[in-house]
Amino acid sequence: MSPSLARKIGSSLFILVVWQALVQTGNLNELFLPAPLSVLKAMWALTLSGRLPWAVLVSLNRVVQGFVYGALAGIVLGLLAGAIGWVEDVLDPWIASLYPIPKSALFPLFLLWFGLGDPSKIITIAVGVLFLVLVNTMTGVKSINPLLVKAALDLGASRLQVFVKVILPGALPNIFTGLRLGAGMALILVFITEIEATKAGLGFLLWESFQLLETKDVFAGVVTFGLLGVATTWVLQWIERRTCPWARR
Amino acid sequence: MSVLLELRDLGKVWSIARTGESVVALEAITLDVMPGEFLVLLGPSGCGKSTLLQIVAGLEKPTRGEIRFPDRNGSQKLTSMVFQEYALFPWRTVTENVVFGPEVRKVPAAERETTARRLIDLVKLRGFETRYPHELSGGMRQRVALARALANDPAILLFDEPLAALDAQTRRVLQDELARIWAETGKTFVYVTHSLQEAVLLGTRIVLMTARPGRIKRVIEVRLPRPRSLTRRAEAEMLETLDDLLRDEVKHAMEAET
Repeated sequence: MSPSLARKIGSSLFILVVWQALVQTGNLNELFLPAPLSVLKAMWALTLSGRLPWAVLVSLNRVVQGFVYGALAGIVLGLLAGAIGWVEDVLDPWIASLYPIPKSALFPLFLLWFGLGDPSKIITIAVGVLFLVLVNTMTGVKSINPLLVKAALDLGASRLQVFVKVILPGALPNIFTGLRLGAGMALILVFITEIEATKAGLGFLLWESFQLLETKDVFAGVVTFGLLGVATTWVLQWIERRTCPWARR
Repeated sequence: MSVLLELRDLGKVWSIARTGESVVALEAITLDVMPGEFLVLLGPSGCGKSTLLQIVAGLEKPTRGEIRFPDRNGSQKLTSMVFQEYALFPWRTVTENVVFGPEVRKVPAAERETTARRLIDLVKLRGFETRYPHELSGGMRQRVALARALANDPAILLFDEPLAALDAQTRRVLQDELARIWAETGKTFVYVTHSLQEAVLLGTRIVLMTARPGRIKRVIEVRLPRPRSLTRRAEAEMLETLDDLLRDEVKHAMEAET
């Protein structure tokens, strides 16, 4: 084991052990801060009862749908706006005015327009993802060396070929930055949209447990959100390594 | 021998939007490019030689005048450009960069492979086919750019100061390589540089240009045997002549600026 890895594991174990000890010696009230082992037990129980897997499934469905729709729209609009002047002019006022708005603030409107079901939640997530992906994709397109476009044209590429073979791959590293940020945003938004007016999902489970003062279950939800965050990062990194083998990290 | 490319009274005026000024980049450029020659466009920076190259490549439009390829047959592009900063696609390997031209022209894959292998051999990059540009030295990148430009089998190769970004030793090696490849392929080279040494070492003809506006000051035939060396008397004398002519131009350009 490398010294660096040993330090990392050591520091994690140290915190967990001290935390566990503080609870067991009665210095910490489990109502506020349940011990690590209690949280693990709660997660196990929630898994066996099927509540946690179901909640994860329901939330993932919303996250994945919202993420995919938002990401696709963001990439397409971002590429067009980055590459074509008039598209940027048309989109610019909308981006400038909507980008700074926390997308969670739009959720009540989407509830009003699209009802209490999944669509309003998926749309909120999609909109949150869209802007992050769009803005980063645009930055990616604009960061492409104009000489590469010249070289492609000189070698006989058509406008469409320049778009597919130069603009798209050139913007890809920035697109992935947008996707990573978007994935984080999707998890934030799924939680917020599941607090109210829903009967299923990880956010619902967490919030309901809080209202019942089942702090262990709240922690179980928090840890599961964390695991989902790590998992999405891994998946995106894997795809990025596959699609951008030239990019050094 | 018939003329390959005719430039007739070419002019280019840039308008600078911010100041509303217009700058004459090129004026009254009339020149015939002969097949198989190594034509060097030599001049101080700002003399519009790069602009001239871009116009020949079809990447810029002249404000006035005409470009003609008298024996043009078919619609195939007749020029390919090698840029100073290589302009390689970072997401493509050496081979993938080389075949970009044939790929966008929908040449069958098998034929592309053959072309790539032949050209990678020509520029001596065998063994590096699957490298990405950032894994190559500057000199190797420029070899890739040269192979990529050759892949479209153009009649004329255009070079925009291709060696300016390289260190002196690498530049020296690549100058010899360019002379070799020019001789081996029999292509016409139009080569922009501000280096007198390069002009003397490589050119069969040197077009000396003035600055602001960019005009042709003189066309000089170089009938020296190859391989050339700057330490020989004939080359040294030619260098001196060019140096005198060019120094005048740089002085004029600087006076015009102040």
